[in-house]
Amino acid sequence: MAPTTADRKRKAVTRDVPEVSDPESEAEFGDGLLEGILSQSEDEQVDSEEDDEEDDDEDELDEIEALDSDEIPSDGPESEVEESNGSLKKSNGVKANSVEELLSPSTLEEEERPNYTITTDANGGERYVYDEIDPVYDSDDSDAPATTNTIGNIPLTFYDSYPHIGYDINGKKIMRPAKGEALDALLDSIDVPKGWTGLTDPATGKPLNLSQDELEILRRIQTNELPEEGYDPYPATVEYFTGIEEIMPLSAAPEPKRRFLPSKHEAKRIMKIVRAIREGRILPYRPPEEQEEQEEEIHYDIWQDEQPRPDNIMNIPAPKMAPPGYDLSYNPPPEYLPTKAEKQAWESADPEDREKEYLPTRHDSLRKVPGYEKFIKERFERSLDLYLAPRVRKNRLNIDPASLLPKLPRPEELKPFPTVCSTLFRGHDGRVRSLAIDPSGIWLASGGDDGTVRVWELLTGRQIWSAKIGDDEAVNVVRWRPGKDAVILSAAAGEDIYLLMPPLTDPETEAASRELLDAGFGYATNATQALTANGARKEPVAKWSRPGSRLEDEGVLIKITVRTTVKVISWHRRGDFFSTVSPTAQKSAVAIHTLSKHLTQIPFRRLPGIPQTVQFHPSRPLFFVATQRTIRSYDLQKQELVKIIQPGARWISSFDIHPGGDNLIVGSYDRRLLWHDLDLSTRPYKTMRFHSKAIRAVKYHKGGFPLFADASDDGSLQIFHGKVVSDMMENATIVPVKVLKGHKVKSALGVMDVDWHPREPWCVSAGADGTCRLWM
Amino acid sequence: MGKIKKKGVSGQAKNFITRTQAVRKLQISLPDFRKLCIWKGIYPREPRNKKKASKSATASTTFYYTKDIQYLLHEPLLQKFREQKALEKKISKALGRGDAHDAQRLERNASRPEKTGKTKYTLDHVIRERYPTFIDALRDLDDCLSMLFLFANLPSTPTVPAKMIARCERLCLEFQHYLIVSNSLRKSFLSIKGIYYQATIQGQDILWLVPYKFNQRVTGDVDFRIMGTFVEFYHTLLGFVNFRLYTSIGLVYPPKFDKTRDDQGAELGAFALEANGVGAIEQPKQIENGESAKPDPKLQAEIDKLMSQLNESEKEPETSQTLPEEEGDEEEQTTDMIDKFEPAAPGGDILPQPSYSATDPSTLFSNFTFFLSRETPRQPLEFILRAFGCKRIGWDAVLGEGAYTHNELDPSITHQVVDRPPIQATQESNEEEEGGDNQTSQKLKAGARVPGRIYIQPQWVWDSVNDEELKRPDLYAPGAQLPPHLSPFVKKVRGQYDPSAPLNEQEREDEELEADSDIEDDPDVSDEHDMAVQKPKLLTHEEVDATAEGMDVAGSEEDEPSENEDAGSFGGFSDAEEEDDEATSTALQRQRELEAELTGVALEEKEIDPRAKAKVDARKKAAKKAKEEDEELERAKMMMSRKKRKIMEKMVYSNKKKDAEAELLRAKRRKIEKSGKGVPRV
Repeated sequence: MAPTTADRKRKAVTRDVPEVSDPESEAEFGDGLLEGILSQSEDEQVDSEEDDEEDDDEDELDEIEALDSDEIPSDGPESEVEESNGSLKKSNGVKANSVEELLSPSTLEEEERPNYTITTDANGGERYVYDEIDPVYDSDDSDAPATTNTIGNIPLTFYDSYPHIGYDINGKKIMRPAKGEALDALLDSIDVPKGWTGLTDPATGKPLNLSQDELEILRRIQTNELPEEGYDPYPATVEYFTGIEEIMPLSAAPEPKRRFLPSKHEAKRIMKIVRAIREGRILPYRPPEEQEEQEEEIHYDIWQDEQPRPDNIMNIPAPKMAPPGYDLSYNPPPEYLPTKAEKQAWESADPEDREKEYLPTRHDSLRKVPGYEKFIKERFERSLDLYLAPRVRKNRLNIDPASLLPKLPRPEELKPFPTVCSTLFRGHDGRVRSLAIDPSGIWLASGGDDGTVRVWELLTGRQIWSAKIGDDEAVNVVRWRPGKDAVILSAAAGEDIYLLMPPLTDPETEAASRELLDAGFGYATNATQALTANGARKEPVAKWSRPGSRLEDEGVLIKITVRTTVKVISWHRRGDFFSTVSPTAQKSAVAIHTLSKHLTQIPFRRLPGIPQTVQFHPSRPLFFVATQRTIRSYDLQKQELVKIIQPGARWISSFDIHPGGDNLIVGSYDRRLLWHDLDLSTRPYKTMRFHSKAIRAVKYHKGGFPLFADASDDGSLQIFHGKVVSDMMENATIVPVKVLKGHKVKSALGVMDVDWHPREPWCVSAGADGTCRLWM
Repeated sequence: MGKIKKKGVSGQAKNFITRTQAVRKLQISLPDFRKLCIWKGIYPREPRNKKKASKSATASTTFYYTKDIQYLLHEPLLQKFREQKALEKKISKALGRGDAHDAQRLERNASRPEKTGKTKYTLDHVIRERYPTFIDALRDLDDCLSMLFLFANLPSTPTVPAKMIARCERLCLEFQHYLIVSNSLRKSFLSIKGIYYQATIQGQDILWLVPYKFNQRVTGDVDFRIMGTFVEFYHTLLGFVNFRLYTSIGLVYPPKFDKTRDDQGAELGAFALEANGVGAIEQPKQIENGESAKPDPKLQAEIDKLMSQLNESEKEPETSQTLPEEEGDEEEQTTDMIDKFEPAAPGGDILPQPSYSATDPSTLFSNFTFFLSRETPRQPLEFILRAFGCKRIGWDAVLGEGAYTHNELDPSITHQVVDRPPIQATQESNEEEEGGDNQTSQKLKAGARVPGRIYIQPQWVWDSVNDEELKRPDLYAPGAQLPPHLSPFVKKVRGQYDPSAPLNEQEREDEELEADSDIEDDPDVSDEHDMAVQKPKLLTHEEVDATAEGMDVAGSEEDEPSENEDAGSFGGFSDAEEEDDEATSTALQRQRELEAELTGVALEEKEIDPRAKAKVDARKKAAKKAKEEDEELERAKMMMSRKKRKIMEKMVYSNKKKDAEAELLRAKRRKIEKSGKGVPRV
């Protein structure tokens, strides 16, 4: 028995921590489940006893609390208790069980037992070990506080490495409440008990759960009720001082005498007034109305010291009423009288829709004129207008509309311009893609889908010469070399550019031309090839070669092969350089070829957009490149960008530079023809949209006539008069003069190209219908 | 980056304020705000961008300048309004308490302008503010006078108290007196709405409208409170203007007003003007209806006999009788008049000419004595005659007090204004027998005429005044069809229809011919009426015997080549169609000739043709010209900017509308002239 007691004593010391620190958790021990296991100690008995009491209390209190206490045991303390029980079992072994069996009946009759046990101390003497005093309701220190941690303001983390978390008021260690295992935590998270906050009470180190009361308070606050139940915020007023008038006066004093006697003071004052009235010092009251009635308003010269003051700028004086016209007369001229139809129309119209609010009527004498029944109404409306109508200053242009019209030259002054088709050039199979009149103005070269280049006599329409250069490719462009010293025609079919020498003139010129063309062969071979990065010889951008004997016999002298299809050829005015555009090539889209050296250069590493066409400036070393949206002009000498012209078109098809060099026309696939004044702005000076289909080509007359033409897919050419004055102050005058129709539209293509005669006001056009036309 | 601008603190958002905001800012009621706006001349403005100006999402309709409203904040009237409002509150509170005595006492302090016609406040300072100079006030007098003259003629109602009307009447009469004394009335016009008057005071033209003396029809949709507010302001304005006008010509203001005479309907005569420090100005004395006034019984008998003789054809002798005298008058008038320069040929500019003859308006009627028959409107006639110098005006006693004489038979009367149709004397005599005893000795029998005076209809007075010359009285004789009464206010604009000018002066070239061909003139319309249609005929005639009249022929010859020239130049750049057309027509003609030759019939068509040919020519030419012009216009328009084109289209539209109106009027007139029903024009 002794060891057990000693054991128990020791136990009791260790055990009482959970007991004391968490009396509620002990309540769980009262549960039937655990009782059989752990009730070997007396403490247990006490506990159970206490438990009973508590149960009693609970009965007295509401059931919710009981529920609460039931819930709590599911937490960590239980397992922790089990743990400690486990250790306890190890030490005690079976004995504990027997003790428990022994003691279990005693719990029932605890009253008879002393409140201490006798143990032997270290010396073997007796030692009384008293039970813990249970602070039940009757006990003396019933209002002793529950055990609290006395460590003060020290963080709990300091005790992390210890089994306890502090000391109670008795200096006893408060043992750390056991933590649940991961599985328990999981279980807890699955069914969160009511009142669970997930917080740890810093005072106890236990999970902080809310009691039913607290929950109830929270609920009430949430629903905007008063937190405390049964609290009446508006209690009936307790009438401390009564509001009910007492019938009987509290004072029993008799009425003073003065209330019954006339006041001498008042009599004195009244006598004073009476005397004053008698003496006439005070006049008796007379109603003032009559005097006011007679009062006349006073007039004076309000403008005596008038000073003219200028009106505020924002002030708009009210407009005067319009003076009456003839039709308002009581006896108007008969032509002002409405006819029957007019009268009817006026009467049937809505009063608001009527142009005049009156109907002219004729009275043959003044005595027959009736009163005007809308007189007051009109005056009223006028007054409304005066104060209610917003006034706006409106500028009325009182000028002749003709003065607004631009001064256009008379049609006679605009002449000459091409009006009729005089020659028709037939011979091409399929479309004629391009055509050009040679610098002498006698020959016309054309190239088309059939791969041939043909030269015609301009006036007669006779075909002089033809050469088939493109085997299965269309001739995209033909251009003559400028200058009359030689007769050289350039044409492009596919990737090849050919320089042709049609046998048209005398042998001297021919020889000169041949010499010009062949002069460059030496340079081409000598030219060193640039090396690429990996040391390989860079492929030349273009290959200058002889086209083969067959073509050579026909007059085709040089063939230049570039990488992709060439669409545009443009010659420099001196005739040594020409530029080609092959829009599909990315880097080498624009190439400049030097005829005298058989050299091909790529001036632009990179271009913003797909280049469409290029032009050399007619007098200055400028080079214009048109991409889809913009036209850029570059200075070739300084090698820099000079200007970016933005016509605003979606897709530029072609452009041409005025021989004066300061103006530009741009044709676009979105049907616009734009005139740019380069000095004025980068934006168009005029936009003309007279075509119903895309514009393919635009061209200025270069021989002194102020004309330009555009060719469109709608099968028509439009001729404009565009006069440019050297005076900077005056803008160019543009007058549309003629629409030339004649080409048939084939597969949505009409006129493909247009060119002017170098001297005469004639133009030629290439049609998709396989013909060329001369207009003069 | 600059400072980010806050919304609604600058620009339009700040410059404009909606009406609701304004009312709220001033803390007054909407009616009071309206009053303030009317008096102070504050009117809404149209912001350039309504969305920017209004701060709220809903579209506000009325905007004021914030500065205008701010300027109202310092208005002394605002304080008066507030005081009034407070007083009203006190009264209603007293009444609510059942304290009738207190309410009555307070009521005595309240001004009830609708009852007393008196207000607690004056608008003097507002007048001074709005019109810094007298000229400014005169400039704004049009509406003031129209309104006051209207109110002077209104019946009194609860909304329009009698006092207000009486005051309007007095002010108007005072103003009329000034015009009479200063002779500043210039023009007047009888319209279907009322009578327009124009006066020129210190170089300012003032035009106002006076209704005819009828009971005005008051419709429900007229708010007399608004009108009353205006009238209140105009009272003050016209009072001060009258004061200034009277003192400027040395008269005492206000003139003495004779209540009893006014009650008898003396109107203008109820006022006695006084010169400063001199005393009353002498008015021509009223003639007693004594013996001297009686006409010579012998002469009267003779005239009666003559009248009965000439009963059937009475008008002609009447005019012939009056004419010589009148002509004498006219010659007297015309001696020192400026000659009127009429353009002899169309196309020249019209130079401005002084519109007034050298004769003073004060002397136009100064030598005459008028008598107004009882059916004539007395007030306007009296006013206008007096304003143009007439000193002696008599009228029937029915028309009220203040006449020079009530005796119709007064021998001094030179003109009698009559507005009744001449009655057959035979019927009249019967009637006279029946009711003979009713007539007083002074009254003539209805159809009778007093010898030695001119009988005229009222329009004569107005036309004479407007043209500054005495019109021929025979045109205005009683019962005669009056010439049209034309507005003197219309400014003649070139290209607009002018009813006073002959038709063929103002119509376009060939318009007539075109119109003729359009209308398909009736065969019965005789050529005599149609002057212009005769013209081509005349031309051909002249060409035939060219030697007869040198001048005219030369003129016509000059005309012809120029036209040809025109035609040639048109052909120069026009399409070939026209020429073709002509060619075919000549070919046709030739063909016809050949046929005629074959058949042997003389080709008389050509003989008859000229008119038809002229017509066709005119039409063709016009068509050609129109086409040319259209082409040219189209080309020019193509090169215009869109904005300019829009402006131009607007202008062309309005011009065309005007032209169409004028053309319609011309066409109507042509038709009327052709039908021979035209009225005499002066």
